[in-house]
Amino acid sequence: MSALILQDLVKSYGSVPALNGVSFEVGQGEFFCLLGPSAAGKTTTLRAVAGLEKLDSGTITFAGRDQTGLPVQGRDIAMIFQSFALYPHMSAYDNLAYPLREQKLPRAQIRQRVGEIAEMLRLSHVLARKPDTLSGGEQQRVAIGRALIRRPRLLLLDEPLTNLDAKLRHETRAEFKRLHRELDMTLLYATPDQLEALTMGNRIAVLRAGKVVQVGTPDELYDGPVDRFVGALIGAPAMNLVTATSAGAGALETGFGRLDNGPWSQALGGFGRGESLLLGFRPHDISPLEPGAAAPLTVQAKIHLTEPLGDITVLDLRAGDTTFKMVLPEEKAVAYAVGDEFDVSIALERTHLFAAATGTAIR
Amino acid sequence: MAWRKRREIGKAGWGWTGFAGIISFIYFFPVLWIILTAFKSNADVLSVPPKFLFTPTLENFVSVFRRSYIPGQAAVDTGFDLFFFNSIYIAGTSVALALVIGTLAAYGFSRYPLRGNDTYMFIILTTRMLPPIIVIIPIFLMFRLAGLSGTYTGIIALYTAFNLPFTIWMMKSFFDELAPDIEDAGRLDGSSERRVFFKICLPQVRAGLAATAVFGLILTWNEFLFALLLTGIDTRTIPVAMAQTIGGDIGVRWGLLAAIETLFLIPVIVVVFALQKHLLRGVTFGTIKR
Repeated sequence: MSALILQDLVKSYGSVPALNGVSFEVGQGEFFCLLGPSAAGKTTTLRAVAGLEKLDSGTITFAGRDQTGLPVQGRDIAMIFQSFALYPHMSAYDNLAYPLREQKLPRAQIRQRVGEIAEMLRLSHVLARKPDTLSGGEQQRVAIGRALIRRPRLLLLDEPLTNLDAKLRHETRAEFKRLHRELDMTLLYATPDQLEALTMGNRIAVLRAGKVVQVGTPDELYDGPVDRFVGALIGAPAMNLVTATSAGAGALETGFGRLDNGPWSQALGGFGRGESLLLGFRPHDISPLEPGAAAPLTVQAKIHLTEPLGDITVLDLRAGDTTFKMVLPEEKAVAYAVGDEFDVSIALERTHLFAAATGTAIR
Repeated sequence: MAWRKRREIGKAGWGWTGFAGIISFIYFFPVLWIILTAFKSNADVLSVPPKFLFTPTLENFVSVFRRSYIPGQAAVDTGFDLFFFNSIYIAGTSVALALVIGTLAAYGFSRYPLRGNDTYMFIILTTRMLPPIIVIIPIFLMFRLAGLSGTYTGIIALYTAFNLPFTIWMMKSFFDELAPDIEDAGRLDGSSERRVFFKICLPQVRAGLAATAVFGLILTWNEFLFALLLTGIDTRTIPVAMAQTIGGDIGVRWGLLAAIETLFLIPVIVVVFALQKHLLRGVTFGTIKR
């Protein structure tokens, strides 16, 4: 059952469009990510769901109830802001207690609930302090606590990890997953970072220029991007894209030679000769060709640059005038050096084909 | 310059500290002079060269409130207790009113901008661009017609109007500085717009309120021209009463004047000290945060 349904949200600021018909559904208890570059409309979508932003058109239904025109205060939705937005003049305790005080709960109950949430988020020792004396991680946890303390049915998170350092970001990611599992709450999480979306989201909606480009599970987005934009956004290092032209009868002319029998061959059959296309393949789907072995797509490549990343190494390869990246586990990469020439095999069944003009996937 | 060792931030050398001390002393010297004079006898006041060591006396302070106007006659009340009350009452009330109205207006201008918001703000500012003396005749006539001359209501209303543009401009800039996310967080936490203002916005601009209050108080406390024309004998303020004390049959009594000025200074000093913690943050707003 869908807890939150967004239909055709349209919003512009003056003449600048922010949302161009955003629609998606979020299931009850789902960890749903909004992924997209800055100015894609992630924050505006969240603010619209919270009721902070008035929409030009479109409807938002939450728990079976149309939210249009409902005041922010009546929506039973909490939000964690990128800036944390703690009340600077209040102690951590008062920040946590604020939502409960606004509900006019009895003092003893407030004290108990603040105690519980402080315990859960390891904040008990900093409750008396003002936000500006807390570390980034503590501020973040106070912000989480303030959002969770009144047990909202929907939690909105607007790039909550952007202001944290790398180590803390990693820890907090795990924290969010844990909280989601323990609290059985619906989460709508906006992020520009594909890694966050892939690791935390049950499902992901990719946003671009105020439109939903694709909705799916992390695997669906990784394996079947609907266009080159999604293909390049998901996965790191980014998908390789090389130019190609259609050669008729489902075949493809590329810098690596003529290809057919790809997963896209059938769809390509409808194309005439000479269409401009882009062939996409992930750095993880390339491997060195064993001597004597054969593969449907092999390329002789020269190593141009190596980027050791610890457990893996990214190799920048050149074949003719095309360049692409491949990823090797560290223990295999030690055998290669810049300038080496060798044959690589690209997994043909895992390649993607996009129209060069529109970027749409052909499949 | 790269080769020069970078000075540690936050520490000035003895030389600069001493230099700042000398400048401060020069600025403060007239105030010190007045305070010293207030405690001198008439003979000491006029002695040349001036005395810095003398037997202090309180006689000037006594004669602020009771003295004889004609030598040899019994001392009578001067009315200065009333004038002090008037000054405090008029300045306090008008600044408080201006703060209440101005802060609400500033919040409105900051958060709910009108079409042509800047034009409105500019018009508000223009009311303070004229030298007051230009409008004094029409205002005087209006006050006469409205029967406001010599009343508390009249002068308080006038001072409130005078303080408002400044208050609105100051407070708007403080509200503009606040992060809007924090107010949105309040709304999501269940606060009504009124409570967002009182519980979340207002406490964050306390420094601004303090700074604005002090500037307004000093301005109003010292105002002479309108007070001279628009207050009556019952509503007279200190600056006017002080000016009227200068004249007289027996020459200027400098000691007496200095005593009035010293008393006149006390409320200002009290207010500034009471609010100084906020004041420092208030007058440097926008330069420290972020």
